[in-house]
Formats: sequence, C-alpha cells, structure tokens
Amino acid sequence: MTASLRPVDRPAPLAASTLRPQWVTGASALRHVTDDIARPLAAWPGRGWWLCFAASSLALLAGAVAVAYEIATGIGTWGLNKSVGWAFDITNFVFWIGIGHAGTLISAILLLLRQQWRTSINRSAEAMTIFAVMCAALFPLIHMGRPWMAFWVMPYPNQRGPLWVNFRSPLLWDVFAINTYLTISLVFWYLGMIPDFATLRDRATGKVKRLAYGLLSLGWNGSHRTWSRYEITCLVLAGLATPLVVSVHTIVSMDFATSVLPGWHTTIFPPYFVAGAVFSGFGMVMTLLIITRKVMHLEAYITMHHLDRMAKVMLFTGSIVAFAYATEIFTAWYGNNPDERFAFWNRATGPYAWAFWIMVTCNALLPQLLWLRRVRSSVALLFVLSVLVNVGMWFERFVIIVTSLHRSYLPSSWVMYTPTLVEVAILVGSFGLFFTCFLLFIRFLPMVAIWEIKGVVGAHPHSQKEAARA
Amino acid sequence: MTEPVYWKSLDELRRDSRAQAERRREFLEPLPSALAPAQEAGAHNGRRDFLALMGFSLGAATMGACSRAPVRKALPFVNQPEETTPGLAGWYASTCGGCAASCSLLVKTRDGRPIKIEGNPDSALFGGGTCAVGQATVLSLYDDERLRGPLWRGQPTSWSEVDAEVQPRLEAAMARGHRVVLLSGPVPGPSTREVLAQWKRTYPRFEHVVYEPRSQAALRRAHLECFGRAAVPHYRFDAAALVVALEADFLGTWLSPVEFTRQYARRRVPEGEMARHVQFESGLSLTGANADERHAVAPSEMGAVALALLRRVQAAAGQPAPPSEDAVPVAAPVLDALAASLWRHRGAALVVSAAADPALQVLVAALNHALGSYGSTIDLSRPSLQAQADDTAMATLVEDMHRGEVQVLLVHGVNPAYDYEDAGRFADALERVALTVSLGERLDETAARAHAVCPDHHFLESWGDAEPVASALSLRQPAIAPLFDTRAAQDSLLKWMGQPPDFHAFLRETWRRTVFPAAPGADAAGGFEAFWDRALQRGLLDLAPAGEAAPAFRGAVDQAAAAVRAAQRASATARGADTFELHLYESVGLRDGRHANNPWLQEMPDPVTKVTWGNTACIAPAAAERLGLGDGDVVELSDGMVRVQLPVCVQPGQDDGTVSVALGYGRSQAGKVGNAVGAGAYAFARLEDGVRRHALPAVTLRATGRRRALAATQTHHSMEGRPLIREASWAAYRADAVAALGAPAAEPRSLWAPAAAKGAHTWGLAIDLSSCTGCSACVVACQAENNVPVVGAEEVRRGREMHWIRIDRYYSGPADAPATAFQPVMCQHCHDAPCETVCPVVATVHSSDGLNQQVYNRCIGTRYCENNCPYKVRRFNWFTYAQNPRFGFPMDSALGTMVLNPDVVVRSRGVMEKCSLCVQRIQAGVLEAKLASRPLADGAIQTACQQACPAEAIVFGDLDDPQSRVSRMSHGPRAYHLLEQLGTRPGVGYLARIRNGEA
Repeated sequence: MTASLRPVDRPAPLAASTLRPQWVTGASALRHVTDDIARPLAAWPGRGWWLCFAASSLALLAGAVAVAYEIATGIGTWGLNKSVGWAFDITNFVFWIGIGHAGTLISAILLLLRQQWRTSINRSAEAMTIFAVMCAALFPLIHMGRPWMAFWVMPYPNQRGPLWVNFRSPLLWDVFAINTYLTISLVFWYLGMIPDFATLRDRATGKVKRLAYGLLSLGWNGSHRTWSRYEITCLVLAGLATPLVVSVHTIVSMDFATSVLPGWHTTIFPPYFVAGAVFSGFGMVMTLLIITRKVMHLEAYITMHHLDRMAKVMLFTGSIVAFAYATEIFTAWYGNNPDERFAFWNRATGPYAWAFWIMVTCNALLPQLLWLRRVRSSVALLFVLSVLVNVGMWFERFVIIVTSLHRSYLPSSWVMYTPTLVEVAILVGSFGLFFTCFLLFIRFLPMVAIWEIKGVVGAHPHSQKEAARA
Repeated sequence: MTEPVYWKSLDELRRDSRAQAERRREFLEPLPSALAPAQEAGAHNGRRDFLALMGFSLGAATMGACSRAPVRKALPFVNQPEETTPGLAGWYASTCGGCAASCSLLVKTRDGRPIKIEGNPDSALFGGGTCAVGQATVLSLYDDERLRGPLWRGQPTSWSEVDAEVQPRLEAAMARGHRVVLLSGPVPGPSTREVLAQWKRTYPRFEHVVYEPRSQAALRRAHLECFGRAAVPHYRFDAAALVVALEADFLGTWLSPVEFTRQYARRRVPEGEMARHVQFESGLSLTGANADERHAVAPSEMGAVALALLRRVQAAAGQPAPPSEDAVPVAAPVLDALAASLWRHRGAALVVSAAADPALQVLVAALNHALGSYGSTIDLSRPSLQAQADDTAMATLVEDMHRGEVQVLLVHGVNPAYDYEDAGRFADALERVALTVSLGERLDETAARAHAVCPDHHFLESWGDAEPVASALSLRQPAIAPLFDTRAAQDSLLKWMGQPPDFHAFLRETWRRTVFPAAPGADAAGGFEAFWDRALQRGLLDLAPAGEAAPAFRGAVDQAAAAVRAAQRASATARGADTFELHLYESVGLRDGRHANNPWLQEMPDPVTKVTWGNTACIAPAAAERLGLGDGDVVELSDGMVRVQLPVCVQPGQDDGTVSVALGYGRSQAGKVGNAVGAGAYAFARLEDGVRRHALPAVTLRATGRRRALAATQTHHSMEGRPLIREASWAAYRADAVAALGAPAAEPRSLWAPAAAKGAHTWGLAIDLSSCTGCSACVVACQAENNVPVVGAEEVRRGREMHWIRIDRYYSGPADAPATAFQPVMCQHCHDAPCETVCPVVATVHSSDGLNQQVYNRCIGTRYCENNCPYKVRRFNWFTYAQNPRFGFPMDSALGTMVLNPDVVVRSRGVMEKCSLCVQRIQAGVLEAKLASRPLADGAIQTACQQACPAEAIVFGDLDDPQSRVSRMSHGPRAYHLLEQLGTRPGVGYLARIRNGEA
C-alpha cells in the first residue's frame, strides 16, 4: 500500500496548498510520517552507520588516550609556552560552543518567529547543540593545570572565609553561561521529545523498549489539555532559550574582549562572535543533515527547501562575519594604535598568515557563492561549502588566539607556537565524541520531531482511526 | 518501727513534685538536645536526642580517627647542634672559589647547610655584589657527581690506604732526587703560598707550576718587559673618565668582573661626571654591549689599532713618533678624535686589553704610561694576584712530562686533559709520569687519568684565605662540615710533607706569624684570638699597602710595534678568500668550563646571544647572508687539524670575517648535566712565542646542511620601534632632561575608585638601566633564592624557561654596528594588574603593601593570567619539575634538594608562578625590625636580585616613604614605567639609559 512505498514514490497529497511552501513531500497520511521516522529506530542499523560509528569511536578513543596522558603528565605535553598560554584548547572550546548555537537558534528563535521550515531539522539541530556543548565543556576542564580542582570555579559555601570565586573574571562568567546553556538546552530537547517517546512507546515491540520509552515519555496521554499545556511550556522554554543564543557566545567572546592584548581587546567581539557562532553552527547542521538525510532516507522531510533556507542563513551570518573582519581591520588602521595595527599586520603577513588567509577565504569569500541559486540547489556544493565554513571558523578562533598571543607588547617574548600530536589527538577526539553521540542519537532517538512535522504536513485530513494509531 | 526516710533537701521533704521528678532523673543537667535545644529537661524526644548524640559521638570519633597524616621519617637530633636554630639563618663570611677573582662572600646557611651566596657588603673591593658563577657555586656543593672519597687506580678506597700508596712513592721519589711538580690554578692566598713554600724548603726539587686555560700571560710579560715586574696591575675603573678597551670583557669575564662592574657602575652615574667607554673587539661581548662607542675589529688588527692610538697620543705629548702605519680597520678621524680625547683625559684615562698578544700588551702599557695612567687608574704597586699563570711554564712542563722527566705530578684545581691546547698530548704525557695524584673535587677528564684521586673539599667546606689584590686579605671558612669523605688539598700536602694534616691550624699559625703583626692597630687590638675571631666574622682584612712608586717605563715600543705589524701581515697572508679569523672567549656563564655540570649556569641565557645549553659559532649578519646561513645551521670549523661542529648564531656587531666561539663546552667528564653540551674549542688554541693564543688567523667554515635549533630564551632582537627602553645622550640629558627623555607620563585616569585599604608600606623597585650591564647575576640569584626549577634545553627551545627575572636585550641601529640595551624584567607588581581581574578562582591578588601575590595553593592553572600579562613575566609549571627523573638534577636528587630555600614553596605541576618581590625576605626584614622594636630602615630589606647585582642597579624599598632611595629614584627625571600607556601602574620603575657620546 502507500505506507510501503518510499516517500518519494507516494502519490502527492490531494490537499497540498499552492500558496504555502510544501515542507514535506511524499507523506500522504500522518501515519506515514510516524512510520518513516520511527521505522529506522526499530531496524538494525545499516553498514553505513556501522562504518561511521567505528571511525568516530576510534577517534574518540584516540582523544581519550591523549586526554588521559595529558592529565597524568602535564600541560607540557601540549605545545604551549611562556607567551602562548592558550591555543588548541580554547580554540576548540569556542569552536564547539559556536556550533551549538545553531541548534538553539533553530529550536527557539525560529519557533518564536513561526518559521515552519525549522520542524524537520530542529530535533537534530538541538541534539547537535547538546553534543557540541558537551564537547566544548570538556576543554575548560582539561586545559587546567590542575583539573582535579576544577570544582573551585563553583561558588559554594565553604569554611575558608568563605572564599568565593572571582566574579570579575570572564572565565567564571563562562562557567555560568555554559552551565546554563547546557541545562536549558537539555531540558528543551528532552521536553520536545516527550510526545515522540509516547509515539514510540505505543509502537514498541518488546518489553524493554516499551519500558524505556514509557519512562521517557512520562506517561504522556495525548489529551487535549496536555497538548495545550505542553505547547505553552514549549513557548516559555523557547523564550528562555532565545537570549542564550546571544548571551552565551557574547560571554565567551568576553574572554578575549576584556583582556589587554592587542587583537583581543576590542568591543566588536560580542556581535562578531555571535554571528560567527550561528554561521559555523549552521555549517555543521548542514553537514550533518546532508549526510543523515541520505543515509536515513529522509529526503522527503529534509528537503531542498530546508537546505535552501539554511544556506540563506549561512549567507547572512557569513556576510556579517565578513563585515566584522573588515571593521576590525579598518579600526586597527584608523585607531592609530601601533600595537593594534601591528597585530593585524602580523595576522595577514606574519608566520601564521597561512591560517589567516584560510580563514578569510573560507568565511568571507566562499560563502558569497551562496548568492547563486545554482549553488544553493546543489547538495554536493552545499556539503563542501559547509565543511569549509567550519574549517574556516576553526581557523578564525586559532588566528585570534595564537597570533595575538605569540607576538604581543614586548618583542623579547615573541615566540612561535607549534601544536603537538597530543593536542591534535584531542581535537580529533572531540570530533569523535561529537559524532559518536550523534550516531547513537540517530540510532536510538527520533531524529526528526514527529509531532512537529505533522503540524506542517499538508496531508489528507485523516480519519479517526488513523489518528488513533498515529 | 519503720526505717527512717532520708531526704536530701527541703523540697524533697515537702514532697515538691519537681523535686520528685528530679530525684528520678539520673542526670541533673539535661543532655543537650540536638533537636529541641530550648526544651526543658525531661523532654519528650529523649530517645531521639540520645540517638542523635550517639550518632554525633560515633561520627566525631570516626572522623578523629580518619586521615592521619602520612608518616614521614623525622629524625630528631640527640644533641642540639651548636649555632643552629631551626628557622633562623646563620651567616658565614667566606671567599668565593668559583673563579680566581676570589670575591668576598657571605654564605647564608639554614639548618646547618648553605643555601644562598651573597656578597660581603663590607668589602671595599667587591661591595656586596656577586656574579652569576658565584651565585651558582652553592649548587655545585650539592652536586651528586662530586667525589665522595679517595680513589686509588680508579677504585674507591680509604684515606689511610691512599696515603699508604702515595706517601711512600712520594718519599721514594724525593729520596732519589726526582722532580715533584704541583700543577695548580692561581694560588689564592698567603697560607697556601706558605704551604708551598714549606714544601720547597723541605724538598728543593719541588716545583709549582701555575696553569690557567685563559691566562694573562701576555699582560704579565708585557709588564715584566716594561716595568720589570711580571704582575697584573690593579685597575681602577672608577678613577677613569675615559675607558678604552681592546678586546677586554672586563664586565663579564676578565680578571675581576664583579669588582670592575662595581667600579664602572659608580662612574657611570649620569647625574655625576659620567665616564665614557669605547670598545674595540671582534665579537660582541657583554662589555662591548655596554660601551658608548664600539668598533668591530678583527683580533689580528687589534695591534694596529693600539699602535695607531699610541702614535697619536705620543704626537700629542710632543714625543717624536714615527710616521703612520699600515691599514687600520678603524677610520682615521675616529682614531684622531679618540686619541685627542685620551690626551684630554690624561691622568684619568684607562686603556685595557685582555688579548693574548704580548706585543699588543706592550703597546697598551706604553699608551697607559704616556697617559699617566700608572699611579692613577692603574696601580702596579698593589697588583692583582688573581692571574698568575705563565703559559711557557705549562708548555715546558708538558714537554718534560712527555720526556719522562717528571716523576710525580700533583694536580689541583685545573683540568688540562680537557682545556690544554693539545689535550691529547697532555693526556699522553700524563701516562709517562710515574705517580699522578689529582686533588680535584670531581672525576673530571684529568682526574680520570690519575693514579690517585684525593678529593679536595668544596670551597664552602674549606678553610683558607685569599689575597685578590695585594694587601687586601679575605678569609674562607667552612659553612658546613664536609659532606663527603674529602680532605682539604692543603691537608693532603701537609701530610705528605710529614706535617700534621690540619690546614686550619696552619692557617691560624700563618696569620699569627705574618698577618697579625702587620694588621692595622684597630683590628689587632685584644691579642691574636680576638683578632682572629673578628677577622673570621668580618671575613676581610685590609693591610696597609706597600706603596711603592711607579717604576720607570722601559718597554721596547718599537720592537712591539714591529711585532704587531709582522703579526698583522702574517695573518693577512694566512687568511684565505673564504676563511674566518677565529676568536675564542670565555662565556659569562661557564667561563673556562669548570662549571659545566652546574645546571643553573647552563640554563642561564648568555647575556648577549640569549642562548642556553651550548655554544655557538657567532658570525656577522653580512657573513651569514653571504653564506646563506641562519641561526641553528650547523657548520664545521676547521684549521686543518682540528674540526669542530657548532650551530651558527647570527650576531649583530660581530666583525665580518671573524667567528667567535665560547670556550668551556664539549666536556666529556663533567657529569650528567654537562657532558656533551656544546662543542669543545680549546683545541684551537696555540702556543706561540711563549703565550697561548686564543685567536687564529684562518679557519674554514663549512655548512654541514644540518640544523640544530638554538635553545634561546629570546628570539626577537628589536624593539620594533616601541618605547620600551628610554635612552638619551648624556649631553642632551644634562642640557634638558625633560626635552631629552620626555615629560613624565601623567597618572592614567582610572574608572576605578582608588584601591582599598593600604598597608603601612607600598613596596616597589627601581631599576637603573644606566647601571645595569646585563651580567645576569640577578637571574641566577633569583633562581637560588626562590627554588626556580631547571627545565633543560628542549623545554627552553619550546619557550618554557622558568626564570622569574629575565634580561631583555635589544639592538638598535645598523646590524653591523648596533647599539645594545639591556632591561631586566620581572613581575611589575602592577597596582591595576591585568592578571588579577581574570583569574577565575582568585589565585592572584594584590596585597595591601603593593605586592601582586600568586597564591599557589589556589591556582588551578587556566593560564588566563599569563595571557593577560602584557609583560609576559608569568611562568607556568608545565610538568612536575621536582622529583622527576625527566628533569634530573637538582630537584630530582636528595642531595641536590638540599640547596632549596626552606622559606619558599616548591611549586607543583599546573600552577602559575612569578616574581614575588622576594616576599620571604620582606617578611623576614619586617619581623626583624618588629622584634627589635625599631622602625624599618630603608635598605634593610633587599630582594635577591638587588643583593646580587654588582652594579647596584636594582633598588627595592618603600614607595610610600618619600625619603627612600626607591622613591627618589622613581620620581627623578629619568624615571618611567614599562608600557605606561596600558594603565597598569606598575610598582617597578625604570631609569632611562644614558649613553655618553661625548668625546
């Protein structure tokens, strides 16, 4: 019947509107939606999944070994030195936090702005946020010289005075911001999945699965009242999460902006970093979704329209980032501060100029290709571009951190920084952690929000019976 | 009859209900109720209270029983050692044995062991200063690889056994009339001289040969020729208004650098009559870097410069002078101006040279004589006794040994198997001596070949005396009982002479006989015992100088001139199209190489090149460009017979056509720290005309294609146009200080309210850049005082050296003739410190007395403070440096850790550290004043860097006290702060560098 056909082969729904864009193709009935999304969760994962999982687990293992070695032996196993106190560690931290922002923007801000195209991608994006923030939170922990004392950054009452933390320090603001962000994102993500857990509970075969999904769904009964309260809750959470998109990365950027170093000490960082975060986040979402829609056969739900919208967001934020680069350089010249001028001159022409030009090419120049519809409609080109965007954004943080540190005020302390194998392994390991978590997520949890998609599917009004089953 | 009922109180009798209730209770006072403290006795919750209290007691007992401190071995003394109070330092006056200069010291001991070397401020010669080598000698006391007992034929043995082997052989040799030779370094003082004199009297065929790898034989011979006295005069740089140095590193390594630096710095005060300093040299030395005017001249052409100056001065003096000369590498107008200047300052001018060229030294002596320096800036009547060697004697000895004419050789304090110009020949000759005895401290290259090794004490364990300059005596006394089974060299000599082996008694006796009668009245009061005690306590004794008049000059100037010209022509012929002149020099850290096993000195950056852990081939930038070489490219230097491979260091200011190589490296038997560090260059030295030359006219330099990155602490040499060191010329400064240096910067406006409650003091530093010579004694002193770890060459290459104070060295001007500037930088103790705001856990705070404090226990190592420090003075513990075999001596050895200062914490891995302004010394000073109920005097507290500085360039004090030296310096016209524009308001002020460009 229609349910057994692939989504692309199903007849078009009769009630498809020509005024509003069609966000889901190939689902004639709401139960098709459930089937399409829930079926892969019951089946044994295919070879593609296993291959990816093996690769990411290997990367995670490498990272874990490297972290254990570094904590046991010392930060000296990295390439840092007397002038460059941060390099890969904080670059990775900012990189991963930035990636997380796309998820929150999609879930929260686009919800408040009633952008229906977000419904296919918000679940995965929100999951990506959780995993990205987890990866990010790893770095402030392991970059400490004495990570076993990391709990001292928490303001807890104690017998030593009491001795509180330094509320003036941006690193401390980071602690609050990241914890808040992780908490709210987790709650938001989990809450959004409750009706889907209920769906899966109802479809579950096997006692273990029924019990697990049953617990996770918190006794969802699908009643009208429940739904009503639920949607209000979602709106409230979205309202709470929205400021986080701006505030978290603003606070992260304060790590640099409030310092005295030329190249760091600039007020443009908060908006610049937020735009960059959204930019890189959408890049990562694009990369992930292009892969998974292919592997999980969800092209009907994550359509070219979605990719087109995401590409436009990337273009917009990428242009802001490009504008920010230009502003920084102009201000360095216009401000006539010799140290500031030198910092930018050094970025473009010094020993790390190669990193600088990768950054400019990938972040400012290449995304401008997205003006072309041809580029926006080509999945392959979008994939390549999204990967390059993330490469470029990683290099942006690297350039900001390392070039400003390695040549600052006193030329007698100018040094070169070279990463060690341990640092590279930890970076690879963080990708391993991220992808392992994401692969597990798409294996065990519904990666598209079933109940939200149903709200935008232009399907036949369904019968009572189907409604009961869906 | 009923029994009587007893009652205890009237209440009870009256059958008061309350009394009845109380009777039934066991305890009058209720147990404290955890649950309801306000309730009355007999509360309802008795069971709960009981359980609560039970639980509390159980918990308390458990807690009390938990976490006992780990048991560590604590060995209490059975008898309290005399003069040792735990926690209080004991100070002993002594004399340094790091080199032949014999500076006067005060040795700080804690718990009976020396932990810090400081200069003796009572010394008229040396003041309180020391050099880097002197500061580091305290570590060599605890060197694991010192000999722990005597050896006979390489096997450990006892003293009685080795004496049983040595003494009969010695006596047999003496009985047969064989030659017995003692080969040693310069004899420091009268008592050891007396031991040797007694030997000579006991056995007439006893000979004493003095050997120095880098001797002043040329200087001594020149004075013998010119004045009839083979002596090294005593130089008075503070009496000179103009100093001209021809290849003499008098601030770094020549003769008596601590003394000369002190004299020089006193004469270089811009507010007084500032002396002028002109330097002619090939490689850029520490002294040349401080000169007001410097000319790069190859060693072979130095004679021509001296001759040119001499002729001009003679002409100015009206003497008949032969017409002028051959090619001089310096322009004629420059020489004219300099000669005129010399003549103008006659009587207050000083020309010095350390070149191993007797003809040149004769010319210099003639020049000094013509300028009337003898008697004013040069004192020949009171000569220096710090250099005594005559190169010919050593060469003759080696040849005699080779011919088998020496039967017994005793070696003390020298290592010719390493540093003789033909070390192989010496080792060979050593084989032909029937009995060789080494009296050295360690199993070095020479001792390893000796039959018997009778190790001497370290100088900190020794008795002795020294006479660095005639009639200026100083004593040496042990600051610790000998750590190992060693015996004083003089004890060995006395024993083998048949006398009781008690050099202490001999020393006293010598002083009683010869010194005490000559002592000035005030010192000699109270009899010998009182005199001796006072002398030991003070460590110094100045006798009345002999006061002979300057003898007449009778040098053969024309002969010397001819010799110089001939040498120059010979060099020109020997030179090829692509050869270089080789210039060998002693580095400030390792000197002649005896301290190669001292990691503090190996890791101390060379003041000029900033390279650690190895020597380099320094070539001029033009030469480097021609040959396509850069820093770290390994080249091979060869003179046809000797080949040495070294990494290149491109040295601005190096004479093009010359390559400079430091001596003292490439040792094979120094110890684990020093072996195979750098490459040995002594093999290039040559004996010529009775003087050992350290300059070769032609060596080839060939690139090997390999690279070995230099372990340099500073890789960038220019100030990039930033106003980091303020400079001005003396003329401009005197005319208008403000115009020359700029008006003092206004206090930057701050958004913050003034800082919280201030304490009684605000500590600060002032560093006079006109006095600082860059010698780096402060760097090693800080390391010794504050337990700063050694990290090794690989970590230095990664930019992770741990020194809390560094000396930045900047060049300005053209690369072939740069001006050099030094700037010591330590934590600036900013009043608005950028590091304090960014630490998340409040591990760095500002004290009420102006110090920026690093709280090691709180630091979790995020390194934000390091990033935010604009001065980059913070040091992070990247690894565990203590008790870690990867980093070795000293922190990994039980003996080496004895040098640690118990007042300063040893930091763990992952913690940030930095200069604390020697807070332990501040606290000690404050406490001392408080206990003595007197106000704290300015100058009572000295930071370690201040104390060590021979130029007195660093001043510590209370900035709140307007009368303190540091306040007056900080408000003078030369004062400024580093990176003022950032608004950090540092507590460390710098005084601008003034160069004297006037003729």
